[in-house]
Amino acid sequence: MATRTRSLRAIRRRKGAEPGAVVESASAPQSEQAPVDISPGDPLLAYLESAGGPVDLDSLELESPAKEELRSAGVQVVVPLVSQGELIGLLNLGPRLSEQEYSADDRKLLDTLAGQAAPAVRVAQLVREQEAEARERERVEQELKVATLIQQQFLPRELPDLPAWHIAAFYRPAREVGGDFYDFIELPEGKLGIVVGDVTDKGVPAALVMAMTQSLLGAEAPRLVSPSEVMERVNDLLVADMPPKMFVTCLYAVLDPSSGKLQYANAGHNVPYVATDDAVVEFRATGMPLGLLPGMKYEEKEGVLGPGDTILLHSDGLAEAHNGDREMFGFPRLMKHMEHRSTGEAVIDDLLKELDAFTGRDWEQEDDITLVTLQRSRHAPLFAEVLGARSSASSSQDGSPEKDRTLAEFEVASRPGNERTAMARITEAVEELDIPSARLERLKTAVAEATMNAIEHGNNNQADIPVGISAVVEGNDLVIRVTDQGGEKALAEVEQPDLEAKLAGEQKARGWGLFLIKNMVDEMNVDSDATLHTIELKFHLKGDGHGS
Amino acid sequence: MSQTATMDVRQAGRSASIVDVKGDVTANSEDVLMDAYNRASESGVRSIVLNFEGLDYMNSGGIGLLVTLLVRANRQRQQLFAYGLTDHYRQIFELTRLDEAVGIYDNERDALAAAGAR
Repeated sequence: MATRTRSLRAIRRRKGAEPGAVVESASAPQSEQAPVDISPGDPLLAYLESAGGPVDLDSLELESPAKEELRSAGVQVVVPLVSQGELIGLLNLGPRLSEQEYSADDRKLLDTLAGQAAPAVRVAQLVREQEAEARERERVEQELKVATLIQQQFLPRELPDLPAWHIAAFYRPAREVGGDFYDFIELPEGKLGIVVGDVTDKGVPAALVMAMTQSLLGAEAPRLVSPSEVMERVNDLLVADMPPKMFVTCLYAVLDPSSGKLQYANAGHNVPYVATDDAVVEFRATGMPLGLLPGMKYEEKEGVLGPGDTILLHSDGLAEAHNGDREMFGFPRLMKHMEHRSTGEAVIDDLLKELDAFTGRDWEQEDDITLVTLQRSRHAPLFAEVLGARSSASSSQDGSPEKDRTLAEFEVASRPGNERTAMARITEAVEELDIPSARLERLKTAVAEATMNAIEHGNNNQADIPVGISAVVEGNDLVIRVTDQGGEKALAEVEQPDLEAKLAGEQKARGWGLFLIKNMVDEMNVDSDATLHTIELKFHLKGDGHGS
Repeated sequence: MSQTATMDVRQAGRSASIVDVKGDVTANSEDVLMDAYNRASESGVRSIVLNFEGLDYMNSGGIGLLVTLLVRANRQRQQLFAYGLTDHYRQIFELTRLDEAVGIYDNERDALAAAGAR
């Protein structure tokens, strides 16, 4: 055949859905024609779909802009490619190069060709569509991975360890990672900055804005401290670089752990709830989201977290979760949940359980969920301060020119077996002192026994009451203090346990702890006040300590 | 959670059993120790030898437990022996005077010899 179709651009028509079918035609072998746009509403398409064979455009009586356009492009005969009743493409032919008319045989041949080509073209189209979909899926997956990676990079690796405070955080991204973030920032004078925020939008753009916001907060917070000033500054810096239609809601609070004082500013983020013994209180402060407008001012408020109080900072993901009936979890439910939640470590766990029960099993999480709680211990008012004050007081008595050096200061929960944790941490902390191994063994036993005593007798195995432990080099002594909250209980004097009496059943088999401690250390002191009880263990680092 | 002890029992001749103490001896070890003691006593031996070579950690609770064991053994007219203690725990046995009631030896051979098993 003299005429050939040089390229065949498939068209697919979904009635009225697509802007137009594109048909490439070749009227002459030498020239490549520009594609012809056919509007989806053009009557030619409907005609071709039911034509049942090649159509001669010159003799076709039809009001159709497409027909005219094809003709002016040099197309004489159009062969519709129909697969399963659907027009999927056109074979466009110009005049025969021999300048003869198309014969009946030519038409028959074209019809047969179209009948065979149509399913093949359809298959090719489907394959191409599927490939495109797979590429798109892969691109989306890849983007999700990148977003998740950025997000994870910026989440805190560990939670701050504040004596007498319990801090917990939970972050669970939605499948399509949103822009939630939280952070803890160390501030001067032992204060702690707490950030919870949410970037509008999802995926990589949100993750990048999140990263930018968090970096700015991390840089400005220690310098400015005041939450409202930090917000103002970060807002002005963000506005300059913020992509259109994006902004950041953010709550920034500064905690003074010793007094429980909390200063905060809120840039359009969810209001934190504070659970006290009597009620659940909202810590409200007004302010526009970050990154929208320059020169915004932020209200700064101040509240106090008393012993036993818990504050919950939260992103939308929880309160705005919907169940199967499109009912929202809602803020009132969240606030209600905080009632009677002023102690215990289970606020977040319980909230998630309640969410699970609310949404049911097959729920796909709609948005990131971020929850941060700070709980002030009910039992340990000013615990750390007391420990700190004691160690500095004893150093001034010594009049030692050397400064005290704190090697370790930590707490363990009052659970049986935690004396091993204490022993291990102290062993690690004093490693630099190169204590001879026999003395080190005695030190370990003394620390373990003192901690056990604090856990069992001082704190009655109540896990939420911590045992405070510190190791300080004071002059030539290593001083280890183990503090519990059984202060009011008078400690039995250390007496020599009598093995015979024990064997004869006249003394309890147990009761070796304090006796052991006293024999393991160079000096043991006991100090009690109304609430706290401290065992002080002293080891001489130079010279000949007894028993070395 | 605190680690626990495992205690295997071996027969050593007709008059002695050896209890291989491994891990932590604390107040939590009571069931394990008393179970091992019962198994060690099944054959009616006069001597129970405690092998402390595998001991990781013993605290005052564990010492209390040994005192309880000593009371039970005394009632059964059995003798307790021990070997494999580190210098540190040997010192603790001395401090608590447990060494006066429990024969302390350097190794299994010496302990069994004293227990009359060899």
